[in-house]
Amino acid sequence: MGFLDALLGGKNKKVALPAPDRLFAMTTAQITLETSLGLQHKKSAGIVFQPLGTADFQGILAETEELLRGTAEETGTAVTSSEDQYGYRWLILKDEDFEDLVVSLNTISVALQGSGYGDRLLCAVFPFEEKGKPVYFIYNFKRGAYYPFVPAPGDQARDSERELRLQSQIGAELPFEKDVTRWFPLWEIPL
Amino acid sequence: MATQQRAIFPRDAGLQVRMLLTLFLLGLLYVALIGALLAAGTGIVLMVVIIGALSFAQLFFSDKLALSAMGAKVVSPQEAPGLHSMIERLCIQADLPKPKIAVADMDVPNAFAVGRSQKTATVACTTGIMRTLSPSELEGVMAHELSHVKHRDVLIMTIASFFASIAATIMQFGFFFGGGDDENPSIIVVLLVSFLVYIISFFLMLALSRYREFAADRGAAVITGRPSALSSALVKISGAMQQVPKRDLREAERMNAFFIVPTSVKGAVQTIFSTHPPIEKRIERLQRLESQLQGTA
Repeated sequence: MGFLDALLGGKNKKVALPAPDRLFAMTTAQITLETSLGLQHKKSAGIVFQPLGTADFQGILAETEELLRGTAEETGTAVTSSEDQYGYRWLILKDEDFEDLVVSLNTISVALQGSGYGDRLLCAVFPFEEKGKPVYFIYNFKRGAYYPFVPAPGDQARDSERELRLQSQIGAELPFEKDVTRWFPLWEIPL
Repeated sequence: MATQQRAIFPRDAGLQVRMLLTLFLLGLLYVALIGALLAAGTGIVLMVVIIGALSFAQLFFSDKLALSAMGAKVVSPQEAPGLHSMIERLCIQADLPKPKIAVADMDVPNAFAVGRSQKTATVACTTGIMRTLSPSELEGVMAHELSHVKHRDVLIMTIASFFASIAATIMQFGFFFGGGDDENPSIIVVLLVSFLVYIISFFLMLALSRYREFAADRGAAVITGRPSALSSALVKISGAMQQVPKRDLREAERMNAFFIVPTSVKGAVQTIFSTHPPIEKRIERLQRLESQLQGTA
Protein backbone atom coordinates (compact mmCIF):
# COMPACT_ATOMS: atom_id res chain seq x y z
CA MET A 1 0.00 0.00 0.00
CA GLY A 2 1.39 3.35 -1.01
CA PHE A 3 2.07 6.27 1.26
CA LEU A 4 -0.89 8.25 -0.01
CA ASP A 5 -3.17 5.25 0.41
CA ALA A 6 -2.06 4.88 4.00
CA LEU A 7 -2.67 8.59 4.54
CA LEU A 8 -6.12 8.40 3.05
CA GLY A 9 -7.11 5.33 4.97
CA GLY A 10 -6.35 2.84 2.29
CA LYS A 11 -7.49 2.34 -1.26
CA ASN A 12 -10.52 0.65 0.21
CA LYS A 13 -11.61 -0.29 -3.21
CA LYS A 14 -10.87 -3.92 -2.83
CA VAL A 15 -8.95 -6.43 -0.81
CA ALA A 16 -5.93 -8.09 -2.34
CA LEU A 17 -6.57 -9.97 -5.54
CA PRO A 18 -5.48 -13.52 -6.10
CA ALA A 19 -1.84 -13.56 -7.10
CA PRO A 20 -1.01 -15.00 -10.52
CA ASP A 21 -2.11 -18.55 -10.51
CA ARG A 22 0.43 -20.98 -9.17
CA LEU A 23 -2.09 -23.49 -8.01
CA PHE A 24 -0.98 -26.09 -10.57
CA ALA A 25 2.46 -26.46 -9.02
CA MET A 26 0.85 -28.94 -6.62
CA THR A 27 0.27 -31.41 -9.44
CA THR A 28 3.96 -32.23 -9.77
CA ALA A 29 4.82 -31.64 -6.13
CA GLN A 30 2.25 -34.26 -5.12
CA ILE A 31 4.30 -36.93 -6.93
CA THR A 32 7.40 -36.02 -4.94
CA LEU A 33 5.39 -35.89 -1.74
CA GLU A 34 4.10 -39.39 -2.38
CA THR A 35 7.19 -41.10 -3.78
CA SER A 36 10.01 -39.62 -1.72
CA LEU A 37 8.27 -38.42 1.44
CA GLY A 38 5.53 -41.01 1.80
CA LEU A 39 2.67 -38.52 2.04
CA GLN A 40 -0.53 -40.00 0.63
CA HIS A 41 -3.09 -37.58 -0.75
CA LYS A 42 -6.53 -38.19 0.67
CA LYS A 43 -8.27 -38.18 -2.71
CA SER A 44 -9.97 -34.94 -1.87
CA ALA A 45 -9.34 -31.22 -1.92
CA GLY A 46 -11.23 -28.15 -0.83
CA ILE A 47 -11.58 -24.49 -1.64
CA VAL A 48 -12.79 -21.99 0.93
CA PHE A 49 -14.20 -18.55 0.25
CA GLN A 50 -16.43 -15.90 1.71
CA PRO A 51 -19.90 -16.19 0.25
CA LEU A 52 -21.48 -12.83 -0.51
CA GLY A 53 -25.15 -12.52 0.27
CA THR A 54 -26.04 -11.18 -3.14
CA ALA A 55 -28.15 -12.69 -5.89
CA ASP A 56 -25.37 -12.22 -8.43
CA PHE A 57 -22.80 -14.09 -6.34
CA GLN A 58 -25.18 -16.91 -5.45
CA GLY A 59 -26.02 -17.25 -9.14
CA ILE A 60 -22.40 -17.56 -10.17
CA LEU A 61 -21.78 -20.08 -7.41
CA ALA A 62 -24.73 -22.19 -8.51
CA GLU A 63 -23.53 -22.07 -12.13
CA THR A 64 -20.04 -23.14 -11.10
CA GLU A 65 -21.30 -26.08 -9.07
CA GLU A 66 -23.50 -27.02 -12.01
CA LEU A 67 -20.51 -26.84 -14.34
CA LEU A 68 -18.50 -29.11 -12.06
CA ARG A 69 -21.31 -31.64 -11.80
CA GLY A 70 -21.56 -31.53 -15.59
CA THR A 71 -17.92 -32.49 -16.07
CA ALA A 72 -18.13 -35.01 -13.23
CA GLU A 73 -19.22 -37.69 -15.67
CA GLU A 74 -15.90 -37.76 -17.45
CA THR A 75 -13.63 -36.83 -14.53
CA GLY A 76 -15.53 -38.62 -11.79
CA THR A 77 -15.07 -35.67 -9.42
CA ALA A 78 -17.77 -35.39 -6.77
CA VAL A 79 -18.61 -31.96 -5.34
CA THR A 80 -20.16 -31.15 -2.02
CA SER A 81 -20.65 -27.81 -0.38
CA SER A 82 -20.74 -26.85 3.26
CA GLU A 83 -20.58 -23.80 5.47
CA ASP A 84 -18.27 -23.64 8.47
CA GLN A 85 -18.87 -22.03 11.84
CA TYR A 86 -17.12 -18.83 10.74
CA GLY A 87 -19.53 -18.31 7.85
CA TYR A 88 -17.13 -19.37 5.10
CA ARG A 89 -18.22 -21.64 2.28
CA TRP A 90 -16.29 -24.80 1.44
CA LEU A 91 -16.54 -26.65 -1.82
CA ILE A 92 -15.19 -30.15 -1.27
CA LEU A 93 -14.04 -32.24 -4.20
CA LYS A 94 -13.49 -35.97 -4.14
CA ASP A 95 -11.62 -37.82 -6.86
CA GLU A 96 -9.20 -40.73 -7.08
CA ASP A 97 -7.13 -38.79 -9.58
CA PHE A 98 -5.10 -35.99 -8.01
CA GLU A 99 -4.72 -34.02 -11.21
CA ASP A 100 -8.48 -33.88 -11.68
CA LEU A 101 -8.77 -32.37 -8.21
CA VAL A 102 -6.38 -29.56 -9.07
CA VAL A 103 -8.12 -28.93 -12.38
CA SER A 104 -11.52 -28.75 -10.68
CA LEU A 105 -10.21 -26.37 -8.01
CA ASN A 106 -8.86 -24.23 -10.77
CA THR A 107 -12.24 -24.25 -12.51
CA ILE A 108 -13.84 -22.84 -9.38
CA SER A 109 -11.24 -20.15 -8.82
CA VAL A 110 -11.33 -19.13 -12.48
CA ALA A 111 -15.12 -18.92 -12.41
CA LEU A 112 -15.07 -16.67 -9.34
CA GLN A 113 -12.22 -14.53 -10.62
CA GLY A 114 -13.73 -14.27 -14.07
CA SER A 115 -16.90 -12.81 -12.65
CA GLY A 116 -15.03 -10.34 -10.48
CA TYR A 117 -15.20 -12.17 -7.18
CA GLY A 118 -11.57 -13.25 -7.02
CA ASP A 119 -11.03 -11.19 -3.88
CA ARG A 120 -13.48 -13.39 -1.96
CA LEU A 121 -11.27 -16.47 -2.38
CA LEU A 122 -9.40 -17.47 0.73
CA CYS A 123 -7.55 -20.76 0.29
CA ALA A 124 -7.36 -24.07 -1.45
CA VAL A 125 -6.58 -26.98 0.84
CA PHE A 126 -4.95 -30.30 -0.05
CA PRO A 127 -5.17 -32.93 2.67
CA PHE A 128 -2.44 -35.57 2.95
CA GLU A 129 -1.79 -38.37 5.36
CA GLU A 130 1.53 -39.22 6.90
CA LYS A 131 1.59 -42.36 9.05
CA GLY A 132 -2.06 -41.86 9.87
CA LYS A 133 -1.62 -38.20 10.81
CA PRO A 134 -3.08 -35.33 8.80
CA VAL A 135 -0.83 -32.95 6.90
CA TYR A 136 -2.35 -30.10 4.93
CA PHE A 137 -0.98 -27.97 2.18
CA ILE A 138 -2.75 -24.65 2.00
CA TYR A 139 -2.67 -22.42 -1.05
CA ASN A 140 -3.28 -18.76 -0.21
CA PHE A 141 -4.88 -17.20 -3.28
CA LYS A 142 -4.01 -13.64 -2.26
CA ARG A 143 -0.33 -14.41 -2.07
CA GLY A 144 -0.12 -17.14 -4.66
CA ALA A 145 1.86 -19.32 -2.30
CA TYR A 146 1.67 -22.63 -0.52
CA TYR A 147 2.43 -23.43 3.09
CA PRO A 148 2.13 -26.57 5.21
CA PHE A 149 -0.21 -26.94 8.14
CA VAL A 150 0.26 -29.90 10.46
CA PRO A 151 -2.17 -30.03 13.38
CA ALA A 152 -0.78 -31.63 16.53
CA PRO A 153 -2.71 -33.45 19.22
CA GLY A 154 -4.21 -30.98 21.67
CA ASP A 155 -6.34 -27.90 21.46
CA GLN A 156 -5.37 -25.75 18.46
CA ALA A 157 -1.80 -27.02 18.57
CA ARG A 158 0.35 -27.42 15.50
CA ASP A 159 3.53 -29.29 14.76
CA SER A 160 5.73 -26.40 13.63
CA GLU A 161 8.80 -28.58 13.45
CA ARG A 162 7.19 -30.88 10.88
CA GLU A 163 5.91 -27.85 8.95
CA LEU A 164 9.37 -26.31 8.77
CA ARG A 165 10.91 -29.62 7.74
CA LEU A 166 8.33 -29.91 4.96
CA GLN A 167 9.37 -26.47 3.76
CA SER A 168 12.95 -27.63 3.29
CA GLN A 169 11.83 -30.92 1.77
CA ILE A 170 9.40 -29.60 -0.82
CA GLY A 171 10.02 -25.83 -0.82
CA ALA A 172 11.96 -25.97 -4.08
CA GLU A 173 9.09 -27.54 -5.97
CA LEU A 174 6.25 -25.36 -4.78
CA PRO A 175 5.83 -21.60 -4.78
CA PHE A 176 6.32 -21.42 -1.01
CA GLU A 177 5.20 -18.73 1.42
CA LYS A 178 8.52 -17.32 2.64
CA ASP A 179 7.05 -15.30 5.49
CA VAL A 180 6.36 -17.81 8.27
CA THR A 181 4.07 -15.31 10.00
CA ARG A 182 1.66 -15.82 7.12
CA TRP A 183 1.35 -19.54 7.73
CA PHE A 184 -2.15 -19.09 9.06
CA PRO A 185 -3.68 -22.23 10.50
CA LEU A 186 -7.14 -23.30 9.40
CA TRP A 187 -8.90 -25.17 12.18
CA GLU A 188 -11.79 -27.53 11.65
CA ILE A 189 -10.94 -28.21 8.03
CA PRO A 190 -13.80 -30.36 6.74
CA LEU A 191 -11.43 -32.64 4.83
CA MET B 1 -4.68 -15.38 -16.75
CA ALA B 2 -6.98 -12.55 -17.65
CA THR B 3 -8.66 -11.50 -14.48
CA GLN B 4 -11.56 -9.19 -14.69
CA GLN B 5 -11.76 -7.29 -11.45
CA ARG B 6 -14.87 -5.69 -10.22
CA ALA B 7 -14.35 -3.58 -7.15
CA ILE B 8 -17.18 -4.59 -4.90
CA PHE B 9 -17.42 -1.01 -3.74
CA PRO B 10 -16.43 2.03 -5.79
CA ARG B 11 -13.94 4.47 -4.28
CA ASP B 12 -15.38 7.01 -1.88
CA ALA B 13 -13.84 10.10 -3.44
CA GLY B 14 -15.68 12.58 -1.20
CA LEU B 15 -14.30 11.03 1.97
CA GLN B 16 -10.77 11.02 0.62
CA VAL B 17 -10.98 14.66 -0.49
CA ARG B 18 -12.18 15.72 2.97
CA MET B 19 -9.42 13.71 4.62
CA LEU B 20 -6.77 15.21 2.35
CA LEU B 21 -8.10 18.71 2.99
CA THR B 22 -7.98 18.13 6.75
CA LEU B 23 -4.42 16.86 6.54
CA PHE B 24 -3.49 19.84 4.38
CA LEU B 25 -4.97 22.31 6.85
CA LEU B 26 -3.17 20.59 9.72
CA GLY B 27 0.08 20.77 7.78
CA LEU B 28 -0.42 24.46 7.03
CA LEU B 29 -1.16 25.15 10.65
CA TYR B 30 1.98 23.35 11.76
CA VAL B 31 4.15 25.21 9.28
CA ALA B 32 2.90 28.44 10.84
CA LEU B 33 3.77 27.09 14.27
CA ILE B 34 7.27 26.07 13.20
CA GLY B 35 7.81 29.52 11.73
CA ALA B 36 6.85 31.14 15.00
CA LEU B 37 9.03 28.73 16.98
CA LEU B 38 12.07 29.41 14.81
CA ALA B 39 11.55 33.11 15.30
CA ALA B 40 11.48 32.63 19.06
CA GLY B 41 14.89 31.02 19.44
CA THR B 42 16.74 28.22 21.13
CA GLY B 43 14.86 27.41 24.33
CA ILE B 44 11.85 26.38 22.37
CA VAL B 45 13.82 24.34 19.84
CA LEU B 46 15.12 22.26 22.71
CA MET B 47 11.59 21.74 23.90
CA VAL B 48 10.48 20.60 20.45
CA VAL B 49 13.26 18.03 20.50
CA ILE B 50 12.14 16.78 23.89
CA ILE B 51 8.53 16.50 22.84
CA GLY B 52 9.68 14.78 19.67
CA ALA B 53 11.48 12.18 21.77
CA LEU B 54 8.41 11.78 23.97
CA SER B 55 6.14 11.27 20.96
CA PHE B 56 8.56 8.72 19.62
CA ALA B 57 8.55 6.91 22.94
CA GLN B 58 4.78 7.13 22.95
CA LEU B 59 4.67 5.33 19.61
CA PHE B 60 6.67 2.51 21.13
CA PHE B 61 5.04 2.17 24.52
CA SER B 62 1.52 3.51 24.16
CA ASP B 63 0.19 0.16 22.99
CA LYS B 64 1.24 -1.56 26.20
CA LEU B 65 -0.03 1.36 28.27
CA ALA B 66 -3.36 1.37 26.48
CA LEU B 67 -3.78 -2.36 26.91
CA SER B 68 -2.98 -2.29 30.60
CA ALA B 69 -5.19 0.77 31.13
CA MET B 70 -8.04 -1.28 29.71
CA GLY B 71 -7.05 -4.35 31.68
CA ALA B 72 -6.73 -6.22 28.39
CA LYS B 73 -4.59 -9.33 28.38
CA VAL B 74 -3.04 -10.89 25.31
CA VAL B 75 -4.66 -14.27 24.81
CA SER B 76 -3.19 -17.38 23.21
CA PRO B 77 -5.00 -19.46 20.57
CA GLN B 78 -5.70 -22.03 23.30
CA GLU B 79 -7.36 -19.43 25.52
CA ALA B 80 -9.57 -17.92 22.83
CA PRO B 81 -9.67 -20.37 19.93
CA GLY B 82 -12.76 -18.96 18.25
CA LEU B 83 -11.50 -15.37 18.26
CA HIS B 84 -8.10 -16.45 16.94
CA SER B 85 -9.58 -18.51 14.12
CA MET B 86 -11.91 -15.69 13.12
CA ILE B 87 -9.08 -13.14 13.02
CA GLU B 88 -6.75 -15.52 11.19
CA ARG B 89 -9.28 -15.85 8.40
CA LEU B 90 -9.83 -12.10 8.26
CA CYS B 91 -6.05 -11.65 8.04
CA ILE B 92 -5.81 -14.02 5.08
CA GLN B 93 -8.66 -12.12 3.45
CA ALA B 94 -7.13 -8.69 4.18
CA ASP B 95 -3.59 -9.89 3.43
CA LEU B 96 -2.29 -8.73 6.81
CA PRO B 97 0.12 -10.37 9.25
CA LYS B 98 -1.71 -11.66 12.28
CA PRO B 99 -1.83 -9.11 15.11
CA LYS B 100 -1.65 -10.01 18.76
CA ILE B 101 -5.09 -10.54 20.22
CA ALA B 102 -6.12 -9.25 23.62
CA VAL B 103 -9.28 -9.56 25.67
CA ALA B 104 -10.42 -7.23 28.45
CA ASP B 105 -12.75 -8.69 31.03
CA MET B 106 -15.35 -5.94 31.24
CA ASP B 107 -19.02 -5.54 30.46
CA VAL B 108 -18.69 -2.45 28.25
CA PRO B 109 -19.08 -3.86 24.74
CA ASN B 110 -16.15 -2.48 22.81
CA ALA B 111 -13.08 -3.21 20.72
CA PHE B 112 -9.93 -1.33 19.82
CA ALA B 113 -6.65 -1.59 17.98
CA VAL B 114 -3.22 -0.37 19.13
CA GLY B 115 0.32 -0.55 17.81
CA ARG B 116 2.47 1.61 15.59
CA SER B 117 2.82 -0.80 12.67
CA GLN B 118 1.09 -3.75 11.09
CA LYS B 119 3.66 -6.10 12.58
CA THR B 120 3.37 -4.83 16.15
CA ALA B 121 -0.37 -4.30 16.20
CA THR B 122 -2.70 -5.67 18.84
CA VAL B 123 -6.44 -5.86 18.42
CA ALA B 124 -8.47 -6.12 21.57
CA CYS B 125 -12.06 -6.59 22.52
CA THR B 126 -14.00 -6.83 25.73
CA THR B 127 -15.75 -9.92 27.01
CA GLY B 128 -18.88 -7.75 26.90
CA ILE B 129 -18.77 -7.41 23.13
CA MET B 130 -18.18 -11.13 22.66
CA ARG B 131 -21.31 -11.83 24.69
CA THR B 132 -23.40 -9.13 23.01
CA LEU B 133 -22.70 -9.77 19.33
CA SER B 134 -23.36 -12.66 17.01
CA PRO B 135 -20.30 -14.21 15.29
CA SER B 136 -20.84 -12.33 12.01
CA GLU B 137 -21.33 -9.02 13.85
CA LEU B 138 -18.19 -9.58 15.90
CA GLU B 139 -16.40 -10.40 12.67
CA GLY B 140 -17.49 -7.03 11.26
CA VAL B 141 -16.17 -5.25 14.35
CA MET B 142 -12.83 -7.07 14.26
CA ALA B 143 -12.54 -6.31 10.53
CA HIS B 144 -13.09 -2.63 11.41
CA GLU B 145 -10.19 -2.83 13.90
CA LEU B 146 -8.01 -4.67 11.37
CA SER B 147 -8.75 -1.85 8.91
CA HIS B 148 -7.40 0.63 11.46
CA VAL B 149 -4.25 -1.51 11.54
CA LYS B 150 -4.10 -1.75 7.77
CA HIS B 151 -4.56 2.02 7.41
CA ARG B 152 -1.87 2.67 10.05
CA ASP B 153 -4.24 4.90 11.95
CA VAL B 154 -2.35 4.87 15.25
CA LEU B 155 0.83 6.09 13.54
CA ILE B 156 -0.97 8.75 11.54
CA MET B 157 -2.93 10.08 14.50
CA THR B 158 0.22 10.18 16.64
CA ILE B 159 2.10 12.14 13.98
CA ALA B 160 -0.86 14.41 13.42
CA SER B 161 -1.09 15.14 17.13
CA PHE B 162 2.66 15.75 17.52
CA PHE B 163 2.53 19.46 16.79
CA ALA B 164 -0.72 19.85 18.63
CA SER B 165 1.01 18.58 21.76
CA ILE B 166 3.89 21.00 21.18
CA ALA B 167 1.43 23.87 20.98
CA ALA B 168 -0.29 22.65 24.13
CA THR B 169 3.01 22.41 26.00
CA ILE B 170 4.00 25.91 24.96
CA MET B 171 0.70 27.19 26.22
CA GLN B 172 1.23 25.55 29.58
CA PHE B 173 4.91 26.30 30.10
CA GLY B 174 5.64 29.00 27.55
CA PHE B 175 5.93 31.78 30.10
CA PHE B 176 8.87 30.08 31.76
CA PHE B 177 10.85 30.22 28.56
CA GLY B 178 10.28 33.94 28.19
CA GLY B 179 10.44 34.58 31.95
CA GLY B 180 12.53 37.64 32.84
CA ASP B 181 13.61 38.20 29.25
CA ASP B 182 12.11 41.58 28.53
CA GLU B 183 14.00 42.02 25.27
CA ASN B 184 12.20 39.11 23.64
CA PRO B 185 8.70 40.20 22.69
CA SER B 186 8.47 37.35 20.20
CA ILE B 187 7.49 35.00 23.03
CA ILE B 188 4.09 36.70 23.13
CA VAL B 189 3.66 35.96 19.42
CA VAL B 190 4.65 32.35 19.99
CA LEU B 191 2.13 32.00 22.78
CA LEU B 192 -0.58 33.50 20.63
CA VAL B 193 0.25 31.29 17.68
CA SER B 194 0.41 28.23 19.94
CA PHE B 195 -2.98 29.04 21.34
CA LEU B 196 -4.51 29.33 17.88
CA VAL B 197 -2.72 26.21 16.66
CA TYR B 198 -3.95 24.26 19.64
CA ILE B 199 -7.58 25.30 19.22
CA ILE B 200 -7.72 24.78 15.48
CA SER B 201 -5.74 21.54 15.45
CA PHE B 202 -8.04 20.17 18.14
CA PHE B 203 -11.00 20.37 15.79
CA LEU B 204 -9.04 19.25 12.76
CA MET B 205 -7.81 16.20 14.66
CA LEU B 206 -11.34 15.30 15.64
CA ALA B 207 -12.46 15.67 12.04
CA LEU B 208 -9.58 13.50 10.88
CA SER B 209 -10.45 10.88 13.46
CA ARG B 210 -14.06 10.82 12.26
CA TYR B 211 -13.01 10.42 8.64
CA ARG B 212 -10.75 7.54 9.58
CA GLU B 213 -13.64 5.85 11.36
CA PHE B 214 -15.67 6.02 8.18
CA ALA B 215 -12.69 4.65 6.26
CA ALA B 216 -12.34 1.77 8.72
CA ASP B 217 -16.06 0.95 8.48
CA ARG B 218 -15.66 0.88 4.76
CA GLY B 219 -12.54 -1.26 5.04
CA ALA B 220 -14.44 -3.70 7.24
CA ALA B 221 -17.20 -3.93 4.65
CA VAL B 222 -14.64 -4.63 1.94
CA ILE B 223 -12.89 -7.33 3.98
CA THR B 224 -16.01 -9.18 5.10
CA GLY B 225 -18.32 -8.35 2.21
CA ARG B 226 -21.05 -7.91 4.82
CA PRO B 227 -21.70 -4.22 5.56
CA SER B 228 -25.02 -5.04 7.21
CA ALA B 229 -23.37 -7.25 9.82
CA LEU B 230 -21.28 -4.27 11.00
CA SER B 231 -24.38 -2.02 10.93
CA SER B 232 -26.26 -4.37 13.16
CA ALA B 233 -23.23 -4.66 15.45
CA LEU B 234 -23.16 -0.86 15.78
CA VAL B 235 -26.86 -0.77 16.58
CA LYS B 236 -26.45 -3.44 19.25
CA ILE B 237 -23.35 -1.88 20.79
CA SER B 238 -24.80 1.62 20.94
CA GLY B 239 -27.98 0.28 22.47
CA ALA B 240 -26.05 -1.73 25.02
CA MET B 241 -23.76 1.26 25.70
CA GLN B 242 -26.56 3.35 27.14
CA GLN B 243 -27.51 0.65 29.60
CA VAL B 244 -24.04 0.16 30.99
CA PRO B 245 -23.47 1.78 34.40
CA LYS B 246 -21.70 5.12 34.34
CA ARG B 247 -18.81 4.04 36.54
CA ASP B 248 -17.35 1.78 33.88
CA LEU B 249 -17.73 4.50 31.30
CA ARG B 250 -15.53 6.93 33.15
CA GLU B 251 -12.78 4.40 33.58
CA ALA B 252 -12.89 3.80 29.86
CA GLU B 253 -13.08 7.47 28.89
CA ARG B 254 -9.41 7.96 27.98
CA MET B 255 -9.43 5.15 25.46
CA ASN B 256 -12.16 6.66 23.31
CA ALA B 257 -10.08 7.52 20.28
CA PHE B 258 -9.33 3.91 19.42
CA PHE B 259 -12.66 2.40 20.32
CA ILE B 260 -15.14 1.17 17.80
CA VAL B 261 -17.85 3.18 19.52
CA PRO B 262 -17.08 5.99 21.99
CA THR B 263 -18.16 4.99 25.46
CA SER B 264 -20.07 8.14 26.36
CA VAL B 265 -23.15 8.52 24.27
CA LYS B 266 -24.71 11.64 25.75
CA GLY B 267 -27.50 12.05 23.27
CA ALA B 268 -26.18 13.72 20.18
CA VAL B 269 -23.17 15.60 21.51
CA GLN B 270 -22.30 18.21 18.95
CA THR B 271 -20.54 16.16 16.34
CA ILE B 272 -17.65 18.61 16.02
CA PHE B 273 -16.51 17.67 19.54
CA SER B 274 -16.56 13.99 18.78
CA THR B 275 -13.85 11.50 17.78
CA HIS B 276 -16.44 9.25 16.15
CA PRO B 277 -19.16 10.06 13.65
CA PRO B 278 -22.69 9.54 14.94
CA ILE B 279 -23.84 5.93 14.73
CA GLU B 280 -26.71 6.87 12.40
CA LYS B 281 -24.27 8.40 9.91
CA ARG B 282 -22.07 5.31 10.02
CA ILE B 283 -25.01 3.00 9.54
CA GLU B 284 -26.33 5.16 6.73
CA ARG B 285 -23.01 4.81 4.90
CA LEU B 286 -22.76 1.10 5.57
CA GLN B 287 -26.26 0.63 4.20
CA ARG B 288 -25.27 2.57 1.10
CA LEU B 289 -22.39 0.08 0.68
CA GLU B 290 -24.82 -2.80 1.14
CA SER B 291 -27.03 -1.37 -1.62
CA GLN B 292 -24.04 -1.06 -3.91
CA LEU B 293 -23.14 -4.65 -3.13
CA GLN B 294 -26.65 -5.86 -3.89
CA GLY B 295 -26.57 -3.88 -7.10
CA THR B 296 -29.62 -1.88 -6.09
CA ALA B 297 -27.89 1.47 -5.69
